[in-house]
Amino acid sequence: MINIHGEREFDALLEQSRDLHSAAMATTKEALDELVEVGRDRRDRPDEIDADASLVFAESSEHAVRRGLAAGGVVASAAFGAALLGLTKSAAFASAPADVQMLQTSASIENLAVSTYKTALTLPYIGGRSANPVIKAFATTTMSQHSQHAQAFNAAVRNLGGKAQKRPDPKYVPVVQAAVATIAKQSPSAGALAAVGLAITLENVAAETYVANCPLYTDINSRRITASIMGVEAQHVATLLAVRALLEAGAPELITLSPTIAAKLPAAAGAVGFPSAFYQSAMASPATEGAVS
Amino acid sequence: MSKHDQHLDHLSNAELAAASNDLDQLHRDETFPAMQAAVGEWVESFHEAAVGSSTRTSSRRTFLIGLGAVAGGGALLAACSSSPSGAKTGTGAGSTSTTTPSHPSHLTGDLAIAAMAASLENLGVFAYKAALAAAGAGKLGKVPPAIATFAQTAMAQHKDHSGAWNSILTTAGAKAVTATDPALTPTVEQKFAQVKDLAGVAELALLIENVAAQTYQNAVAVLQSPRAVGIAATIQPVEMQHAAILYYVLGRYPGIQGAASNGFALGTPLAFSPTTLARPPSDYTGR
Repeated sequence: MINIHGEREFDALLEQSRDLHSAAMATTKEALDELVEVGRDRRDRPDEIDADASLVFAESSEHAVRRGLAAGGVVASAAFGAALLGLTKSAAFASAPADVQMLQTSASIENLAVSTYKTALTLPYIGGRSANPVIKAFATTTMSQHSQHAQAFNAAVRNLGGKAQKRPDPKYVPVVQAAVATIAKQSPSAGALAAVGLAITLENVAAETYVANCPLYTDINSRRITASIMGVEAQHVATLLAVRALLEAGAPELITLSPTIAAKLPAAAGAVGFPSAFYQSAMASPATEGAVS
Repeated sequence: MSKHDQHLDHLSNAELAAASNDLDQLHRDETFPAMQAAVGEWVESFHEAAVGSSTRTSSRRTFLIGLGAVAGGGALLAACSSSPSGAKTGTGAGSTSTTTPSHPSHLTGDLAIAAMAASLENLGVFAYKAALAAAGAGKLGKVPPAIATFAQTAMAQHKDHSGAWNSILTTAGAKAVTATDPALTPTVEQKFAQVKDLAGVAELALLIENVAAQTYQNAVAVLQSPRAVGIAATIQPVEMQHAAILYYVLGRYPGIQGAASNGFALGTPLAFSPTTLARPPSDYTGR
């Protein structure tokens, strides 16, 4: 295990992560696109599909994905890799309009998160010179992760024969626009708090939507992909809740990555990041909210 | 502690505690009843499957849901025991004595996963309880207040999780699981014996949280009952949140990251949670 003590080491770590994920996602996308093309072709000729042929296709497709994952430096044991591999076996030709809608809505939520973080990073106290380095690095990394989530959801959509969702969730676009307009007029301290609050809302919408969707999917691999993402969003929420609490308490200096930070944190900071024993789903978006019409 | 620090601590705690209380109330008002309803509906599906099995042919899904309870013809009620060594019992009630847990070998399907999940939650309770006891005895050095709060809150939530799984088991006619995960308990005990300070305890807790989260993540794709999937899905993100805060107090990036267990570069933030630490139902059922 390694400990990250300074901004330089942290930046290096993030750079390493970006390289790894970019390479992995690019290669994986290539493999998935290949699969989708073949799958689409076969769906157009359903009378030619028989069990044996499908099995052969599934096996060759799995090899293609494995090659892609290996070339991208992704171990096949990772959940996402497993889910992608599974796509070739059980879901490639399924007809599941509700699943497609849920995946498209999920992609739309991710698209909105990417654009929101991108906007937030233009604020001097989030992504500029006056920004806390941990907040800046977190926002940058989180934006990248949401972009990867959107790609994963859209890959799953295409694999089910649907159309990728490239647009943001229409319900929350005006909400974000209004919030951003307000934030832009606020002081740095108030603006930072409002930006973090907005991010918490969007992260919770994402996490709660995925929690609610898990039991609704008929396609197991869509469920797998969603499950591999929902906890990551929940961790974003936990971090943001802690950050907001420290900002509200007037202790931004405690937002730092240091092995000695625990000794300085107030008692209540130990629990502010996980307010419920069971994740809620009251803010979950319905399947059709961000579906491609 | 300087006056400034005391002032900061007072203010921060007051504000954070207020926020925590509001959220906890929200949890009590909305989340827990919903969870209880989900548990009740899942149990109802067991009973429906059991009745249906004697009068009609079950669908494949119903069969899979009730594999142990239905196909076993009441075998659950006869569950007896020979416990895997190393398990501890009574964690929910406060005991940590080593005794023989009820034998779970007749549990199959979703109920086997529920039993394993309960045992995993019990392990979490046991570990936090042991850590708090060691801290209270001064064995871990000075304990920061945030760490104590973390351990107490996380322990309480693991108790809630264990309670949810056990309510499913008992309502379905099986015994509640009071043992800790038999396969993991010796390892946790061994690691705990080697711990010298809070960082070591936090590392161990992090391992347990990641194991739990990845087990639930895996279970979401394996469980047959949609209600059971829903329950696992509401718990997995919470374990991940515990892990996020543990990463933070250890001075690391506050999210799932590369480790020897998942093959990614150490410390690399991951966009997708792996399942390489997921535990199988055989941890508890023994088969």
